[in-house]
Amino acid sequence: MTNIKSISPTSRQEGHAELLMEVDDEGIVTKGMYFSITPVRGLEKMVLDKSPETIPVLCQRICGVCPIPHTLASAEAVDASLDIEVPKAGKILRELTLLAHNINSAAIHHFLIAPDFVPEDKYATAIQSVSAVRKATQYLVDVVAGEGIHPSDIRIGGMAQNISPLAKEKITERMTDLKGTLENHVKLMKGFIEESDLPKGLGVVDSPLFATTQFYGDVNDFNLDDVTEVLPEAWYGNEEVGKRACTVIPLMNGVNVETGPRARMAKFAGFKDNGVIGFHIARADEMLLNYQRIMELLDELDTSAPARADFDFKGTGKLGIGVIEAPRGTNVHMANIKDGKTQFYSAIVPTTWNIPTMGPATEGYSHELAPHVIRAFDPCLSCATHVMVVDDDDKKVLKNEMLKI
Amino acid sequence: MVLGTYKEALSARATDSKIQKVAQDGGIASALLIHALEEGIIEGAVVAGDPNDDWAPYPQVATNADEVLQAAGTKYSMSPNVFGIKEAARQFGLEKIGTVVVPCQMQGIRKAQAYPFSIRFIGDKIKLLIGIFCMENFPMASLDTFSEAMMDSSLNDVKKMDIGKGKFRINTTDGTKDIPLKKTHGYEQSGCNICNDYVAEWSDVSTGSVGSPDGWSTVLTRTDNGVDLFTSAVDVGLIETKPIEEVKPGLPLLEKLAKGKKDKSKKEIERRTKMGIPTPVLY
Ligand code: SF4
Repeated sequence: MTNIKSISPTSRQEGHAELLMEVDDEGIVTKGMYFSITPVRGLEKMVLDKSPETIPVLCQRICGVCPIPHTLASAEAVDASLDIEVPKAGKILRELTLLAHNINSAAIHHFLIAPDFVPEDKYATAIQSVSAVRKATQYLVDVVAGEGIHPSDIRIGGMAQNISPLAKEKITERMTDLKGTLENHVKLMKGFIEESDLPKGLGVVDSPLFATTQFYGDVNDFNLDDVTEVLPEAWYGNEEVGKRACTVIPLMNGVNVETGPRARMAKFAGFKDNGVIGFHIARADEMLLNYQRIMELLDELDTSAPARADFDFKGTGKLGIGVIEAPRGTNVHMANIKDGKTQFYSAIVPTTWNIPTMGPATEGYSHELAPHVIRAFDPCLSCATHVMVVDDDDKKVLKNEMLKI
Repeated sequence: MVLGTYKEALSARATDSKIQKVAQDGGIASALLIHALEEGIIEGAVVAGDPNDDWAPYPQVATNADEVLQAAGTKYSMSPNVFGIKEAARQFGLEKIGTVVVPCQMQGIRKAQAYPFSIRFIGDKIKLLIGIFCMENFPMASLDTFSEAMMDSSLNDVKKMDIGKGKFRINTTDGTKDIPLKKTHGYEQSGCNICNDYVAEWSDVSTGSVGSPDGWSTVLTRTDNGVDLFTSAVDVGLIETKPIEEVKPGLPLLEKLAKGKKDKSKKEIERRTKMGIPTPVLY
């Protein structure tokens, strides 16, 4: 006999989502469906007919958890449509911003999963460690990009300006100080996670990995022709879910994928583990890789070099694509600028890629463990949601034109 | 109190001839910034530079005495230094910041310190606020009109601008020219007509020429930080002082002008309110 279990909303994640599970008599999940119930984000429409420099400013508001990847993906997409080559120092500053943000975001996630892994008497230690890591990395984002949350100085063409030698010195100092703190933090969290008695096979997925690079993101490894999107009705095979789900389902070469730290680490850093424990370990290990990269880039940064290119804001009329390796996976924004105005804008954000993969990942284990699986993906729904419910009475998705690529 | 809260009023000037040479009056703002830099009270200051030598001021970050002196002297158009503070705290990496601003900017900064919207982690980095007396401020187009149309001189040739004794004066390569201050009326920023603060009441230290003899400045120390810095600059001999009671015209003139500005602005606010124009609420 099939029973239905529903968790709504799923907790300790950003935004609202629902996990609907079919379970057998023993309570084992036989079919997992995870879908967003967060209202539409709508920004792709708001940026239409705006001038290029407005676009990243609006698009960074897609999410307050992940504003940096959205600003960057947006700026990269517009840069590409305007045919701009960002100068080297600008690229370095952009990447530094993202790396620091990714470490910060992983630390926030440790805060969210603390109740799952951290013994109560170690709670204060873990939270203080999270705060110390966040403080240092947010300092970098503040100085380099103007604001820690919605950065004002990531601009079309590069960065508003380079940083001063003194600022570089200070960042280097803080980052050098961070080394011990971060290593201890990663060791602490990995220790808790490895001691957990969650089953090893919980949350193991075998969907193709989707990641373009270990760091920053590379549009050359992303082929838009491989992407298709299907509407939730068709994907979930459940009319009720189809009506209520607020995202489309993006597929790569016709199948759903896994994106995020584990995908990057498995593809580019030889990471082998899978499942809930594997996701968490990969996310923690990636913090250290990001840290090393920060130190390399700081060394490379020439503070006297220009950080921003001159450009013609009129645009080429071609589709520009920005691909950023965000904390939760690959973030893709697309823009077309012509006559100085946005003609088209679309974004496929990390959690959207993972949504179809997360539900099935709960299968084969007790439904009581399912929330662990969802949290291991660190979903973030506010940015992922973009289907418009036009008929409010029966909640039917009547129009889907804003999703068309 | 028409001069706001202050601890001490003095007449003062910088003793260093290098400062005297470039300063507007007594060189107090420059001397205090340099002293604060040297003492490590601030790491840098946002000052009104003139990067293109055309009197269009632009906020610049000065981290040593030379850079402070380069920006010395009053510019009669607005330098958006408040904006510069954010840059100083971010891309310049300064954690202890000073600036010299006019009263309306001072109000903005104090308000931003209390309500830090979009200036997270900046308010507490502001360590020194020097306010300068201000009766009005001119858009660049107005300065251009005074100089080019009324005094037949290109702004690029103007070496110094000055308001005093009822005149707007410029020093150019071919001598000093002036127009009566009356002729500049109507050319000021319209906001200045509803501005009620003449002496930068919210600063750590306020300074300006009015009240003191030529080459000297009137100084009002207002906060503990302001008093400490000023006293220390006097102690090391960077600034010399005279009791304000001993100089002419002294505080009575300053009070008269400060009161005049408050009265005038109140009237203008009432006039605008009657016409249904939104005006700021003053507390
Ligand atoms: S008069 Fe008031 S409003 Fe005008 S510039 Fe001076 S301080 Fe600002």
